[in-house]
Amino acid sequence: MNGADAGLVPFGPGQAEIASDGRVTIIGPRHGRRFARNLFGTPLDAAITLACAALLVWAAIPLLRWLVLDATVSGTTRDDCTGSGACWVFVRARFGQFMYGFYPQAERWRVDLAGALLVAVTASLAWPGLPGKRPLGLAALIVGPPLGVWLLHGGWSLRPVETREWGGLMLTVFLSVYGALLALPLGIVLALGRQSRLPVIRLIATIAIEFWRGVPIIAVLFLASLLLPLILPDGAGIDRLARAVIGLGLCIAAYMAEAVRGGLQALPPGQAEAAAALGLGYWRTTGLVILPQALRVSLPALTNEFIALVKNTSLVLIVSIFDLLGIAQAALADPAWVGKTWEAYAFAGVIYWLMCFGLSRWSLAVERRGRRGVRN
Amino acid sequence: MSSLPKHLALTAVLTIAAGSVSAQQLAPSPTLDAIKARGHLECGVHLGLPGFSYANDKGEWSGIDVDYCRALAAAILGDATKVKFTPTSVQQRWPVLQSGQVDVLARNTTITFSRNATLGVNFQGINFYEGQTFVVRKGAAATPKDLDGASVCVAAGSTEEKNAADWFKERGLKISIINFQKNDDAIAAYDSGRCDAYTAGIGALAGQRIKLKKPDDNVVMTETISNDPQGPTTRWNDERFQLVVRWVLNGQIAAEAYGVTSKNVDEMKASSQSGDIRRLLGVEGGFGAMMGIPNDWMYQAIKQVGNYAESYERTVGLGSPLKLARGKNELWTKGGALFSPPFQ
Repeated sequence: MNGADAGLVPFGPGQAEIASDGRVTIIGPRHGRRFARNLFGTPLDAAITLACAALLVWAAIPLLRWLVLDATVSGTTRDDCTGSGACWVFVRARFGQFMYGFYPQAERWRVDLAGALLVAVTASLAWPGLPGKRPLGLAALIVGPPLGVWLLHGGWSLRPVETREWGGLMLTVFLSVYGALLALPLGIVLALGRQSRLPVIRLIATIAIEFWRGVPIIAVLFLASLLLPLILPDGAGIDRLARAVIGLGLCIAAYMAEAVRGGLQALPPGQAEAAAALGLGYWRTTGLVILPQALRVSLPALTNEFIALVKNTSLVLIVSIFDLLGIAQAALADPAWVGKTWEAYAFAGVIYWLMCFGLSRWSLAVERRGRRGVRN
Repeated sequence: MSSLPKHLALTAVLTIAAGSVSAQQLAPSPTLDAIKARGHLECGVHLGLPGFSYANDKGEWSGIDVDYCRALAAAILGDATKVKFTPTSVQQRWPVLQSGQVDVLARNTTITFSRNATLGVNFQGINFYEGQTFVVRKGAAATPKDLDGASVCVAAGSTEEKNAADWFKERGLKISIINFQKNDDAIAAYDSGRCDAYTAGIGALAGQRIKLKKPDDNVVMTETISNDPQGPTTRWNDERFQLVVRWVLNGQIAAEAYGVTSKNVDEMKASSQSGDIRRLLGVEGGFGAMMGIPNDWMYQAIKQVGNYAESYERTVGLGSPLKLARGKNELWTKGGALFSPPFQ
């Protein structure tokens, strides 16, 4: 073991903390030993570890230099970017557009407020042991969506802001949230329909799922944004953003339905039989016994679908809706910033990653609590 | 409806005053009526193309195509800001026009016979002569012909590769073509000095030049080896609106030819003795009324947006980061291909 510990010396930032007897003072001897055993257990392991560390350093140093050390942060134009690193001046100058698109400056507080409400509600729903969560969740589900649309779109004493002025991160979040609000209930209904004992309902649900799962999302968006206005009589057009949300929602609903079906099938038949024996009808059996358990089982799969939805929202660019990725790309067409491609995509990429990472953490927290509930 | 007889009478009087042969009546124009009713013009533009259509840091649309839309809005509604832009992708451009989501498309789209004949669209003139050309290091070559014996970086299998090869072969000139997998690789190779030139459309090249390590050491040729004219596009039907679209563009070009700019337009309107200028600015002739829009239509367009030269220089020309010389997009009297039929 001592020999293996000695191998730890050239690795990692904490190397100076390893005493000559092999004890690691910073992270404690037990952790240090396990750490060392895992990484340097055999000569082959040690070689792999060192190779990976070298690769990491080889990649990380230029990246760090580009991202931070050599980057330009202050200034207002591209001429201020003299360093060899990233030109964050560009992102700073465009930050408002990346976040809000062309949303009028004076009205952006409405977006902030809607975003804050969204964060507050989701955070409090994930808060372990917060009292009154059920009524809060129900109220948020009923009041939230129309409230959000009213805040963003205006009307009723708020200045109307057309959806074509929306863009950037707010649009990505809007598409994700409203897409999911549409997809999840629809997905549950489709999944239940597919399990139904009534053949007609089963057939309808199966056809709907297989159809929407089979068509590419891009084709659906094209259909919604290009063909609908040509088919529908003039003026009867639904807002193009609403069309995109509906298209996305229908596709994701089919995927979610299959995730929920997986949960339904994972339940032992005894659950439904026991509920029936207690005299519960179909709706109460489903609502009180089956669905809560099935949803808990399918939560990881549902989270997966939701993350896929967040990333799929960037497809709306092909129907000229400027989501986060679209607005970053559009910014590159400004002669003042032409060529700042890496900065635009790096910034958008980090935001997407943060969103998706946050989502998966959130679902893990919910899952853990769900499991505890089962055990108790 | 009540204003229609008044309009007719007015038009009749004005046409007689202008010495026209036939007293024409104002044809119905659902598009113009819709624009006036909603109070703004709907204009389809490119999603983002440097110099042609892009949003600046403040979120304002700019570019030569955008400028045209503003001029059209100024002519119809008297206010160049009364225009809303619908950015359109390549796939979307025709459906948004055909379905009436936009009134006019000013979107860097090449005018071709088959589009004109089969898509139900009409092209109303040329606001930019696009065409394939070369970017070279400053002083290396002035026109494509000077590239005899030079090496050219291209993306393998692209239209540009075939065009360039054919063009030089037809003229008995020799170039060595160096192929790359992607456009970006070809540009990077040119930038690092592997070849003497890189080829693409003139508008795209102007944008790409800025991305080079030392943009000012490179120059985009203005002579092209292909001809891809572009201009504002409308739906079939509604000839009166098409008339307005066509003549606002002509008006911008004519204003340059007549020497009318946004700076001297007031003075010109007040004191010019030239019949052409007086008719252009609506002092006489009543040309606006013949189309069912205000007589000061071109005065407003020039005052608020400028003539063609002002618009060009500001967006793609020497006054912009693109620094594109006029080339073919110069008046015919100065060696270019632009002209306006007379305002008579």
